[in-house]
Amino acid sequence: MTQTVRDADAYILFELANTTYAIRSGDVQHMEMVEHITPVPNAPAHVEGVVFSRGQVVPAVNLRLRFGFPRAPYTLRSRLIVVQVEERRVGLIVDAAREFRNISADTIRAPNESITGLSGQYLAGIANIGDRVVLLLNIPEVIKSGVEVSSAEPALAEN
Amino acid sequence: MDDFYAECDEHLGEVRSGLLIMERTIGKEAPDPSVLQRVFRNFHSLKGIFGMAGLQLAETLAHRTEDYVRALTRNETSLSEEGFDALTGATERLEQIVVAYREKRPAPDISALLDRFNSLLDDSQESATPARAAAVGLAQRVAEARARGLRVWQCLFQPSAALAEKGVTVNSARARAQELGEILHSAPRVESGGKISFEFIVASRVAEVDTATWAGDGIEIHEYAAPVAPKRSGPSESPPVAFVAPSHVVRVDLTRLDELMRIMGDMVVHRARLEEVGNRITTLLPTNEARALQEVNVAFGRELRNLRDGLMRVRLVPIGEIFQRLPFVVRDLAHESGKRIRISSTGQETEIDKYLVERLKDPLLHLVRNAVTHGIETTEERLAAGKPPEGTINLRATTVGETVVIEISDDGRGVDREGVMARARSAGMPMAEQPDTSELLETISQPGFSTREAADRGAGRGVGMTAVQSAIQDMGGELTMRTECGLGTTFTLRLPLTLAIADALIIAAGGQRFAMPQSVVQEITTAAAENVKILERNEIMPYRNGILPLIRLSTVFGLTPEQRREFPVLVLGTGLNAVGIVADRVLAQREIVVRAVNDPLLKVPAISGATELGDGRAVLILDTVGLMQTARQKRERHLASSPAGKVL
Repeated sequence: MTQTVRDADAYILFELANTTYAIRSGDVQHMEMVEHITPVPNAPAHVEGVVFSRGQVVPAVNLRLRFGFPRAPYTLRSRLIVVQVEERRVGLIVDAAREFRNISADTIRAPNESITGLSGQYLAGIANIGDRVVLLLNIPEVIKSGVEVSSAEPALAEN
Repeated sequence: MDDFYAECDEHLGEVRSGLLIMERTIGKEAPDPSVLQRVFRNFHSLKGIFGMAGLQLAETLAHRTEDYVRALTRNETSLSEEGFDALTGATERLEQIVVAYREKRPAPDISALLDRFNSLLDDSQESATPARAAAVGLAQRVAEARARGLRVWQCLFQPSAALAEKGVTVNSARARAQELGEILHSAPRVESGGKISFEFIVASRVAEVDTATWAGDGIEIHEYAAPVAPKRSGPSESPPVAFVAPSHVVRVDLTRLDELMRIMGDMVVHRARLEEVGNRITTLLPTNEARALQEVNVAFGRELRNLRDGLMRVRLVPIGEIFQRLPFVVRDLAHESGKRIRISSTGQETEIDKYLVERLKDPLLHLVRNAVTHGIETTEERLAAGKPPEGTINLRATTVGETVVIEISDDGRGVDREGVMARARSAGMPMAEQPDTSELLETISQPGFSTREAADRGAGRGVGMTAVQSAIQDMGGELTMRTECGLGTTFTLRLPLTLAIADALIIAAGGQRFAMPQSVVQEITTAAAENVKILERNEIMPYRNGILPLIRLSTVFGLTPEQRREFPVLVLGTGLNAVGIVADRVLAQREIVVRAVNDPLLKVPAISGATELGDGRAVLILDTVGLMQTARQKRERHLASSPAGKVL
């Protein structure tokens, strides 16, 4: 692959359970503080509820629960990252999100063979930024419905 | 692409309305030429847009249909029952092809229809050939040849002595023209200066000609163009004025209107907030300032309401859009069943939200099918009962305030009360001894209740009254029935004008607020804890002369209810279907802006959408149909799991 400017995409970096993740900024609509989540009865466990975000009803997914981490109370640093995938708009609740930076394609490598299973599916790649390891998220997979996250126990790969 | 569908709809709609007018004259007199022209133009346009969209089958069928209609316009054939059937069949099939295309399904077959048109056209040619040649002018023959894919050439031959020396004469020129193709027309012409030339109009498969070689033979050749001489304005020549699209009409994508409606909704919410803040601070303001603030707010509210009404009106379309389809359905079904049925409609101009019109199609179709299949008797039965041999189905639409009322009535045999009761009992459904009409309707709307004819085409596709009921309830509407044995049945459908903004009751359950569409709530009553009894795991309370099964929102939603001695009960449905929804408190009655909740992550039973009441927090809107279903399923699961529950 030749080196061009296009090979460095802008990402939004966020923190979740002491790990840094990244979402391509093109997939992100906007971010907001976490407030007023209306619980939706009988929704999947990791769906905290709905929020009104810019006039739209958006489901709020607790990424901690989605990835099988224990729930943590919301703080002033908690953020709702609203992503858009095709027609859908979904909010992801994360511990903190502050950074915005370019990650060039040559620093991204495919997820390790050993990270398969439930969390492996959610990864689009792994990048090294300085001495930090950043996990790139596969957003469509993360917000896929019909996958019930039952417990923190790592599940077997579904395929 | 949406434009394509919109255009197809438009043209097919015009064809339908034209066919309806033509149907009245079958076998009596020739159809109104202006109507025929209109139908012809529409098929012609359809052919064009199908061609552009690459829908070959549809293009072919539209083309053939156009041929037949053209034959009609020229009186080469008269409109027969068979011909009319073929036309309605083709219209329907074209629509099916478009729908199949949109849904990426394989297109239905058209060969049978093409055959029908072929035989219709053959007949017309045999019977009309002698008169035809004279009647059909050159222009028409040219148009026909072009329609067959031929090129039409004009050859002008000017004889001269020099040419004659080379052996080139009118006869050789004619022979050469004949080689090129079929001579449609030949005539001598007197040119200025007294010279004579000969003109041959030739239809040919040859797409290009070498003008030089023709010129060598003294023939000037070019593509034929109709002379621009002033046209005789015969009745069939004048362009039908009705076809000029009114230029003040704007076609707007529905999603854009939805967006405006959304912004409008936000404004309603913001104004409510403004009012709240205003109310809080008025005490801090000097009286005159407080009054000024209030006045501005009131005026703002009023204008906002006007704006909202205006926006809603933009979304309204005449219900005639659906009404026009129904006669064809009735016609087909009547044909099949050998019944004679007339369908009439009033109030076609009644307007209803575009969104609702789309969703109204299937329920209305089903009700009309039911009327044909179950309602109207056979001709013999009708005569025996002393009724006119022809059955009547009447469609009526009116607007009453914010509600649209649609009636479908037939003068058939009425609902067979005894038959329904017997069937319900044999299916193990609860049934009152003397069911009133609403209970009768509820019974025939129960899932699992199907009548003898359920498998025939009339009731077909397994939708049934259950689907009709749930579709209407989804639209926030209500279905009622009147029936009289031997005299007929009337279904009345009441629908809100629009869905985007609704009146709702805001209720609290388990510490959460919910919005309940007010239109479905029959009554709010209060239950005392000690009056609630438990019967087979169902909570029930005495209500009017019977009992009312209760559904606790907190139970359905797994929330912790407030401990109260008395609680409000919202009664939904009537008669057998009445259900009481138990909440903790009824907080307010509000006008809410309905936001759909579509995300697959939020596909949960009993929630239909969300709204916001001015504080930025989402409030879930209850889906009453889903709520009742969820409750029923819970009950059934309980019944199935506890054998004792089965003892009745």
